[in-house]
Amino acid sequence: MSTASVARSARLGPLISIASVAAFVLLWYEAARLGWASSLILPAPGEVLDTALQMLNDGYRHVPLWQHVAISLGRALAAFAAALVVGIPLGLAMGLSPILSSILDPFVQFLRPLPKLALIPLVIVWLGIGESSKIFLIFVSTLFSVIVGAAAAAGSVKVGRLRLARAFGATRRQQLWYFVLPSALPEIFTSVRLAFGVGWTTLIAAEMVAADSGMGWMVINASSYMRTDIVMLGILLLGVTGYLLDLAVVGLQRAVVPWAGRE
Amino acid sequence: MPIGKYVILAAGALAGLLALPPLSQAEEVPAVVRFGYLNGPRPWILGKADQSFDKALGTKVQWINFPNGPNELNALAAGEVDIGRIGSVPTVSALVRKVPIKVIAVSGVIATSERLIARKGIDSVKALEGHAVAYPPGSTAHYALLAAFKVHQVDVSKVRQVQLKPGDLLAAWKRGDIDAAYVWGPFSQQLEGENGHAILATKDLQPAGYFLFNDYVVRKEFAEKYPGLVVKFLKTFGDTVARYKADPDGSAAIIAKELDQDPAAAKDTLAGLIYPPLNEQRTTAWLGDGHDSGNAVITKSFADTARFLVEQGELRAADLPSDFAPFIDTSFLAKAVAAP
Repeated sequence: MSTASVARSARLGPLISIASVAAFVLLWYEAARLGWASSLILPAPGEVLDTALQMLNDGYRHVPLWQHVAISLGRALAAFAAALVVGIPLGLAMGLSPILSSILDPFVQFLRPLPKLALIPLVIVWLGIGESSKIFLIFVSTLFSVIVGAAAAAGSVKVGRLRLARAFGATRRQQLWYFVLPSALPEIFTSVRLAFGVGWTTLIAAEMVAADSGMGWMVINASSYMRTDIVMLGILLLGVTGYLLDLAVVGLQRAVVPWAGRE
Repeated sequence: MPIGKYVILAAGALAGLLALPPLSQAEEVPAVVRFGYLNGPRPWILGKADQSFDKALGTKVQWINFPNGPNELNALAAGEVDIGRIGSVPTVSALVRKVPIKVIAVSGVIATSERLIARKGIDSVKALEGHAVAYPPGSTAHYALLAAFKVHQVDVSKVRQVQLKPGDLLAAWKRGDIDAAYVWGPFSQQLEGENGHAILATKDLQPAGYFLFNDYVVRKEFAEKYPGLVVKFLKTFGDTVARYKADPDGSAAIIAKELDQDPAAAKDTLAGLIYPPLNEQRTTAWLGDGHDSGNAVITKSFADTARFLVEQGELRAADLPSDFAPFIDTSFLAKAVAAP
């Protein structure tokens, strides 16, 4: 492809995306209108919209809709922050120190793929049924992806550069600050993005633990009464919020590491 | 005379065929019939233990376990369960949301099998103010708890209500995170074993008009295609109740072993339900006979439960049917009772 045609498709990109979403909604609308599936199995877009409008007025189960979104977002962000604070230094340290990596790697590799639902009974015993257990569940599912990403990023720092830095007498702190971090950061951002995605999916599991608010709880509770319209609405909210969160991380990445991908 | 021999054979075969009942009468049997069951000890589990349902239906029965009623409800909506035992509250959610099922019988009335367990020192429902109470959401126990609050004029804003799955109750109780829970066996007995005591049982709410029970539902499509199997199912269920009544201790032991639960707790739960005889269920005291079902106790309690769930904000008023009688089909019950 020529440079001009690449630029043209880049401009067309958003338009194509909008058209594809519109086509999907139209298909959904038609499927419901033509009765391909009952409203129990596939609520019509209009029904979901009605439910959304009614909830904007009355809330869901005595809690305003925005508060459900805010509570879930608060839980996730608290967990993400903790995962970054713990995960990035630990991952970098593992990436730079083969001994530390050998010590911790078995635990990281064991815990990372573990289905987090399996931890619920233990988390209740350890942390109870308050906010801490919900945040902890999201934290553990995010943490290990952050660690693995940061370790890989630190490991990918070009050895030649570090040797050069040492030859010029850079201290360990200077090595870390001027050489390791700048080349590791873009990769760390990418892994953080993926880790947030993983963490966000744990929201439902986290809000299965004695919650009475939040988008995940909304979906679970509504499914107990076969309110598929609310389930759909909850899923849409979860998806859109997750999408916006991802956009925020991408924006942050552009601002913090503008040199990413330009080496 | 080979030809003559064949003629005689053919004539004989034809006579044999005519002597058999017409083919249309013989109902086709699916390769597998899927039963949905919950963890609560119930008489029909006897039929799981000795495969008497497999024998009666003449095909393989697949028993699918669900941790709670709402989960079974989702499977029913997906058409993954043919016949299921489920609580009256999830049943109402299903009927209101137009899940294609029919209610075919009452399996048992909840008397003491579900109770409100509180810590020592909390001796009444009113005393729950200022404490945390847990319940499985969307269940008969949830409904009973809210009804108990109403009956005993509890200030709900002073009670911390905690939604927990039955399996998670014990951990929260042991940590001291909850002070009471409304739940069924074997979980109620587990809490009682940890310094809990019952301050209310579901039957205590009956005088105030709250009637809670378990019922059997069948997938509409299945009932239309295999009505004979539904009749055989009900008859076999009746047999298991009779066996339980004849030998409660022995039955409880078998059921506990089948469900891998404590025998004493299973016995306690089994004794905490009332099993209305099948031949009495076609009166208005229960399901009615199809013509008077609108006035039947079960129909009315479905309507009460539905109104209550609307009040709670769980169901939409616009979804409520004017009458629950059309969802009850006692024709299978009539045949099961008449069958020898």
